[in-house]
Amino acid sequence: MRETREPIAAFGEALLEAGERYGCVVALSADSSKGSGMGPFKERFPERHIEFGIMEQGVIGFAAGLATTGRIPFVAAIAPFVSSRPFEMIRNDLGYMRQNVKVVGRCSGFTYSDLGPTHHSLEDVAILRTIPGLTILSPGDPIEIGKAVQRACEHDGPVYLRIGKPRMPVLFAEDHELELGKGVVMEEGRDLAIVATGTMLGRAAEASRLLEREGISVMLVNIHTLKPVDRDLLVRAAEQTRGVVTVEDHYLAGGLGSIVAEVLARERPTPMRMIGIQDRFVGTGPYDELLTRHGFQPAQIAAAAREFLEQLTV
Amino acid sequence: MPGTDRRSDPRVTALTELETLELKRTALRVRRNILRMFKAGGSGHLGGALSAADILTALYFRVMRVDPENPLWRERDRFVLSAGHKCLGLYAVLAQRGFFDLEVLDSYGALESRVAGHPDMHMLPGVEASTGALGHGLAIAGGMAMGLRMDRLDSRVYVLLGDGELAEGSNWEAAAACSHHRLDNLLAFVDRNALQISGRTAEVMNYEPVGGRLEAFGWSVREIDGHDFAQIVENAGEMPFEAGRPSAVVANTVKSRGFSFAEDRVDYHHWKPTPEEIRLAERDLAEIEGSLAE
Repeated sequence: MRETREPIAAFGEALLEAGERYGCVVALSADSSKGSGMGPFKERFPERHIEFGIMEQGVIGFAAGLATTGRIPFVAAIAPFVSSRPFEMIRNDLGYMRQNVKVVGRCSGFTYSDLGPTHHSLEDVAILRTIPGLTILSPGDPIEIGKAVQRACEHDGPVYLRIGKPRMPVLFAEDHELELGKGVVMEEGRDLAIVATGTMLGRAAEASRLLEREGISVMLVNIHTLKPVDRDLLVRAAEQTRGVVTVEDHYLAGGLGSIVAEVLARERPTPMRMIGIQDRFVGTGPYDELLTRHGFQPAQIAAAAREFLEQLTV
Repeated sequence: MPGTDRRSDPRVTALTELETLELKRTALRVRRNILRMFKAGGSGHLGGALSAADILTALYFRVMRVDPENPLWRERDRFVLSAGHKCLGLYAVLAQRGFFDLEVLDSYGALESRVAGHPDMHMLPGVEASTGALGHGLAIAGGMAMGLRMDRLDSRVYVLLGDGELAEGSNWEAAAACSHHRLDNLLAFVDRNALQISGRTAEVMNYEPVGGRLEAFGWSVREIDGHDFAQIVENAGEMPFEAGRPSAVVANTVKSRGFSFAEDRVDYHHWKPTPEEIRLAERDLAEIEGSLAE
């Protein structure tokens, strides 16, 4: 059994570390500090923690203004409330104004399963990636979350960091390097490429192990940076396999599958199977049961991939 | 480099008659600059540029600590034009103050002009925020005020809002946060020209009493004539009106002030001038010039 860790706690630890390293890092809370893992930062740096109450539009503007004075503001809250709700503030005040603000959407996808569609974010990547100059990170394990926070601090520009809620398996060693815009090949293979991101990476990894056991050779690719995406790696995945499967807890419209398809349609048209959420609200319930309903269990991912490969063979 | 000692700051003193006259002459040059852009580019937001022109002139020529030679000077005062569509007024003032050449104004309306239909902070020195979508500026200004306070600088932040703009709920989020965080280094002007695209602001969506609402949000509020330089300068210089509170000035203004044919008329919110209107505007400005002659 792999070790698992809380993604939100991983973010909180990394933020605390960033706070120790950079005096200009400030944390902005929309009544969301503790739930977003910023409790330790608040305790250690109370003067650098600013509370706004349930003010998810306003907080982005304040963050932009703070950034103009040389600070690196982190704004963290439940993902839909820092993505779709303040979209225009992110677009104009962070994107157009090129302000060095890091927006952290936690409990992303439908990981807040039982709270229902109002608290799910299945469109955050789709809408935010239309913003020129915004970097979008979707780290695949707790180690990558920590590295993503470090890289976000070093990067001068707006960043959206997408993290889930349930414990994540640790997939990488502590010295794993995360380079913005560079995907990670976790396994080489020649039959299929499985490309996954964020919360879904661990499940895709399990699915690929199931397929390997059946003798299917899988290239497993981790796309921790959804924007700018690693085009070269996606093209290589298409070149060295027969088809590409994408796995994401996001709408198929505009998410990882769309990103990969946009690259491959232009650079190397390739058969694809996209696993994600169809055009519907996913409903509420226990997370594991929703995963099953929407085909995200490793065996289901493996079955979809196998079926796709069989179609390619006919 | 301008001095940093507020106590000896000449801005906070009352204006002499001569200084008032000089500000009026500067405001006339600013209005000429605004007309210059219309002549170059054909159309744009007239009414708000002219209603805010005197406040902008007073801020940049008398009130604010800025250095056109060093527009990113760390200790400068900041100005955020939340009502970004009034940008012709801002461009006219910044050019007159020396932030960039007056000739830049002649590119208004051209492809990739630096004086665009809404201000872009990366295009022009002196522009502190890229605004245009309403209801953004107060939060941005509030963040600046917080950052400057953290840096223990005595720089001030000024922001100008339109009265029609107040219907954007995000302003009230920001108003609450500015007061909660006791940002007394921030002053908001409400350019209350009482008109917006669809008609009288009080009839389109009534936010009166504007001052009373801001007071209820914890602001310290004064009401002035937004075309009276003595009132603008004295009040802006006296901020904070109360320690620990953000200050607001509800400035009663006349939309399209200075162009007599357009004053207080809703159809000049956005203007595509006819040759006859250009002639009328030039005549009005010549008349103002005559009234300011020694």
